[in-house]
Amino acid sequence: MKTKHYRYFAFIMLALIFSIQANADNLRKIVSLSGYWKFSIGDDISWVNPSYDDSGWDQIAVPGQWENEGYKDYNGYAWYRKTFKPGDVPANTTLYLMLGRIDDVDEVYLNGKLIGKSGKFPPNFESAYNRTRKYIIPFESLKEDAENVIAVRVYDSYLEGGIVEGPTGIYIDEDNKLLNLDLSGKWKFHTGNNKDWKSPEFNDEDWTLINVPDYWENEGYEDLDGYAWYRVKFKLPGNLSAGDLYLALGKIDDVDDVYLNGEFVGNVYDMRRNFEYNWNGWECNVRRIYKIKDGLLKRNGMNTLAVRVHDDQGLGGIYEGPIGIMSAENYREYRDEYHSDQSFWDYLYNKFIR
Amino acid sequence: MRTLYISALICLLTLSGKGNPGNGDLVLLQSLKGSWLFSIGINEEWISPKFNDSGWESIKVPSPWENQGFNGYNGYAFYRKKFTISSLYKGRMLYLNMGYIDDVDEVYLNGHKIGSTGNFPPDYSTAYNAERVYYIPEEYISFDASNLIAVKVYDSYDRGGIVSGELGLYGGKTTVNFDINLQGAWKFMPGDDPRRKESDFNDSMWDEIFVPAKWEDQRYRDYDGYAWYRKSFVWTGNNADEKMVIMMGKIDDIDQVFINGTFVGSTGYFPDKGRELANSGQEYDAFRGYYIPAGLLKKGQKNVIAVRVLDTGGAGGIYEGPVGIISQARYIEYWRKLKKTGN
Repeated sequence: MKTKHYRYFAFIMLALIFSIQANADNLRKIVSLSGYWKFSIGDDISWVNPSYDDSGWDQIAVPGQWENEGYKDYNGYAWYRKTFKPGDVPANTTLYLMLGRIDDVDEVYLNGKLIGKSGKFPPNFESAYNRTRKYIIPFESLKEDAENVIAVRVYDSYLEGGIVEGPTGIYIDEDNKLLNLDLSGKWKFHTGNNKDWKSPEFNDEDWTLINVPDYWENEGYEDLDGYAWYRVKFKLPGNLSAGDLYLALGKIDDVDDVYLNGEFVGNVYDMRRNFEYNWNGWECNVRRIYKIKDGLLKRNGMNTLAVRVHDDQGLGGIYEGPIGIMSAENYREYRDEYHSDQSFWDYLYNKFIR
Repeated sequence: MRTLYISALICLLTLSGKGNPGNGDLVLLQSLKGSWLFSIGINEEWISPKFNDSGWESIKVPSPWENQGFNGYNGYAFYRKKFTISSLYKGRMLYLNMGYIDDVDEVYLNGHKIGSTGNFPPDYSTAYNAERVYYIPEEYISFDASNLIAVKVYDSYDRGGIVSGELGLYGGKTTVNFDINLQGAWKFMPGDDPRRKESDFNDSMWDEIFVPAKWEDQRYRDYDGYAWYRKSFVWTGNNADEKMVIMMGKIDDIDQVFINGTFVGSTGYFPDKGRELANSGQEYDAFRGYYIPAGLLKKGQKNVIAVRVLDTGGAGGIYEGPVGIISQARYIEYWRKLKKTGN
């Protein structure tokens, strides 16, 4: 009797611990961008220009709603600009620009180039006020030892507006350190479903480019639900010429089917069967990591990765890293790191049902 | 929509009583309490600044006329007062607050009607509990000179006249350098019909209404639901590539704005949108500023603004200014000045 009670209590404790640890991003801030930014209401595309002189602009604290910064009652367009010199940033890892929650719609430019957007500007207005903005900074577009300019175009329909709250800065994903080959960045993307798209011979030249990892809603596919395909070609670095390799695809909303050089590699339900990673009830919370069968990967030539994604509703796509190839050693470290990520129900399932 | 908590808080604030919504952000420039000239009766000549009122009686305002020697009188009466408006207020949106008038009034500045609340007989309806705040179009004002206010009042029974309130000349917190000021008389029609957005739609039979002001104070006392506002104007505008904004002030509750038949902007979702989109209930308090698509305004020609409004309960209509068209550069200037006033 006594033992049984003790067990029951332990389960509850475990459930509490696991629910706290679940789903933690492993992001680290390397450049803070909170504090005063230049600010102007209105809308003018020439304000993206890094050399635009914003010295006559107002200043505003970021993050914070502009209603609390002297623009009570203001609704509509406004721009934020920030000039900064980051200093040294870690090399060979994906940099993310996080701008917290923006109410309602935004477009973000780094040194004059669009790097991300969320929601829809009028006339087909659609708010994205409840999403935290996390945009990939394209490789080598951030200048370490020179001034960079971020320009953020914001539209607020009403109520609170602006870069209202949350993390603002440049971040790296610590998990990317475990990648022997980081595949995040621009991939090819096409909506719909066609079995030919898994083939390495298929010509995807006219497909659009999309950032991976990111929700496709942030990449201009605001209302997309259903099927879409991602494709990317890559060569292995020389130091991966031997040993077992794993393909990490971070988190995907909702269901994936992964093909490497035209052969099926796995999908989220294999993850479930193997039960090595968390299964918090939903496909979109599962960390994808697939063991690559011997001989499938070309150690010297060009490889083609094709991922079919089906999104049930709401946000969709390959939305969170790490994305890339891992050695067996790094795979074990990654697995151990997120071992405790499994839910209470996973624990029960693993312990008693499997 | 954002959070229940905020909605609940705003609900509480609203319930705790904010008098006339159109009055919230105005600054008193000059009090008009004190001695006015008064006559019972009705005569259209009394509206005119030229009329010689030297024989009229002096009366204290605000106060029911029953307390000023006219005990037992019910029916029509006129109030008149001359006052000077300083040219310092040029460019500012100016409002005349006439306080609470029992029961019905029509107010004229220098012979021009600037507002009316309640309904005179034969379709009499009282508005004794509405605060009168009327926008004064600048072109009616003689700056640094004498201006005449004439107020026609009808009282059905009990106390009558300009009974209470903070009478005075009021101004917006800061100046608005409109390219075209759209406050004043508009055309108005309850109901809903998509054809009403077209510039060639015939609105000649429509009612006249003042903007900004609640329609409840203007003969549509208990009306909730759809209504359209229309106004035509000649655009004398500046250079064509300058971005223009139409400021629509605050509208209770939701709106769609069209210029020359083309959609310009909207706040809140109409039920006919075809999607399940929730309104937050705070749309009435949102200040509207919509960008006008390039090339839409026709220079030197007649342009038509049509505003579709849905009021879901309580007060309704375009109730708070400023309302007008302004270039983006001056729009930015306006908001920065507002910030400096401490907003």
